[in-house]
Amino acid sequence: MAFLSKKSQTVLKDPLMNNNPITLQVLGICSALAVTVKVDTAVIMTLAVIFVLSMSNTLISLIRNFIPARVRIIIQLAVIASLVILCDQVLRAYMYDMSKQLSVFVGLIITNCIVMGRAEAFAMQNKPGQAFLDGVGNALGYGIILIAVSVFREILGSGTLYGFQVIPTAFYESGYVNNGLMVLSPGAFIILGLIIWIQRTVYDVEEK
Amino acid sequence: MQQSNSYTLIFTGIVTVILGFLLSIAATSLKEQQELNVAIDIKRNILRSLDFQESQDELWTTEIIQTLFDSNIVSFVIDETGKIVDGMNVEDIDTKSNSMLAPVYCKKREGKEIEGYAIPISGKGLWSTLYGYFALEADGMTVKGIKFYKHGETPGLGGEVDKEWFTQNFIGKRIVDEEGNFVGIQVVRGKVDESSKNAYHQVDGISGATMTSKGLNNFLMNDLQKYEPFFKRIRTNASI
Amino acid sequence: MLEHYLSLITKAIFVENILLAYFLGMCSFLAISNKVQTSIGLGMAVTFVLTITAPANWLIHNYFLKAGALTWLGLPNVDLSYLNFIVFIAVIAALVQLVEMIMDKFSPVLYHNLGIFLPLIAVNCSILGGSLFLVERDYNLMESTVFGFGSGLGWFLAIASMSAIRHRLRYSNVPPKLRGLGITMLLTGLLSMAFMAFSGIDL
Repeated sequence: MAFLSKKSQTVLKDPLMNNNPITLQVLGICSALAVTVKVDTAVIMTLAVIFVLSMSNTLISLIRNFIPARVRIIIQLAVIASLVILCDQVLRAYMYDMSKQLSVFVGLIITNCIVMGRAEAFAMQNKPGQAFLDGVGNALGYGIILIAVSVFREILGSGTLYGFQVIPTAFYESGYVNNGLMVLSPGAFIILGLIIWIQRTVYDVEEK
Repeated sequence: MQQSNSYTLIFTGIVTVILGFLLSIAATSLKEQQELNVAIDIKRNILRSLDFQESQDELWTTEIIQTLFDSNIVSFVIDETGKIVDGMNVEDIDTKSNSMLAPVYCKKREGKEIEGYAIPISGKGLWSTLYGYFALEADGMTVKGIKFYKHGETPGLGGEVDKEWFTQNFIGKRIVDEEGNFVGIQVVRGKVDESSKNAYHQVDGISGATMTSKGLNNFLMNDLQKYEPFFKRIRTNASI
Repeated sequence: MLEHYLSLITKAIFVENILLAYFLGMCSFLAISNKVQTSIGLGMAVTFVLTITAPANWLIHNYFLKAGALTWLGLPNVDLSYLNFIVFIAVIAALVQLVEMIMDKFSPVLYHNLGIFLPLIAVNCSILGGSLFLVERDYNLMESTVFGFGSGLGWFLAIASMSAIRHRLRYSNVPPKLRGLGITMLLTGLLSMAFMAFSGIDL
């Protein structure tokens, strides 16, 4: 990391843990949970968000001094939506199976509050390089939570991890059953709630 | 900083044109690949429902699927009496007007007997229309396989219909009873009671996806009924 | 026929609630649900916007964007469906703006109650999600409208019940680190479990 300045490092690393967009800034949960039944979908979703967020931050930061104030939200939306379409088209062409599984949730990256939020709060005030790092950092912070939730849901709900059987068949023979609730939506809410609890205990954050 | 109206308009215009241009290029250049994906995916599913297995050391590439399909699958069109319509290809069926005509894909390796028939199935699940293929053995009553290639059901719930563990359950079930009367296939709630006398045409359900299973039962029944004249001919060795 | 719509609306409200089963619209849900009054206001606004954007986007998709949709213009080979996302979000933003202006002009009372929420709604996932779902699921115009309305009501119901629960929560002793987001997530989990009971309904 030596090639990055101190500030750049903070910009990149901060959102990973002690200022995580999901658990601490309460952003972008919408599209996050539906794709966390399996780890592989969560990973692809994370990659898509990394692409969209870093590119949108960079592009918006590049044109930040030219954007007319009155239409800035629309311009930001247009840039973001175009990047999402690009992402969706590439997925359809080269990862057809995955794009079928993610279905509408790739499109919903557009309304992911993190993307809009970072464009408005960071990219509009900072240089492209910094904005890019901020985008990568926040997308990774989002991804960490997404993947953490999906690891628990896949192991407990399906007995597999990234598609590989991790719970030995001997368990099933002696009466172990997968927890069906984990595959369903309540499982996602509860796991995320617990992760938030743990993280806030570790980083000592409290809400009024 | 408040800019003039004309600046705002010009700026918005330029951004729109640039973005629109880039997107059109991307969409046009990727379109061919996407359409190929869809076509290959359909062939892949027909092959899979007819129990062609993709092996670990030889993954199915586009070319392999194409060759497998061309050399092993024969397709024809049947009418409402279950007879083959001469001189018509499956591509010629106008899905909107001639709803009585239907395609059949059969597995026939060169110089060998017919090994199975695949038919397209589709219908409403809980949310979406499910599309897939259903295959019977050459006897016209034992299930050879079922595959879904398009649906918008909830991932992890109804979305499990396209998973191996679910479709595996169909194999070997029968669509006719002891006397040879048509009964269809029924997805039950929970596990099938193997000791029940109906177990021969029942399949384990997906937990948490009652509505998807119900929809599946309905449209599978409809589609099978539509093809029943054809399969009845196969079962009774009548001419087709 | 009526039965069909009735079952669609019941499904959209209870069985597959857009928030509790598809997680859409979580951001505003989490931010707003601590006050009952504002929750109800936002819920009404979402229902209203979803009911008008769903058919609007259906029309746009079927007459402009879908493969072959431009046949009436003599262009049967044009497929603009890749523009779905960007056009939908633009339509939503424009409609929200329009509704805001009309409301301001003709019904100041309604504007006073719902107006402040409208700008928030353009980026609410549930609105775009509703439009994307109706394309994915091949609904017709009427089904889309009913589905939009039902999803809106479902969202309304979820946020209204959540705000009521959070209102009562003030008097309970929640572990400090779990307060706020954490406990809300756990409660949403329980609420969504409760809603799952509806999935047994025979429609």
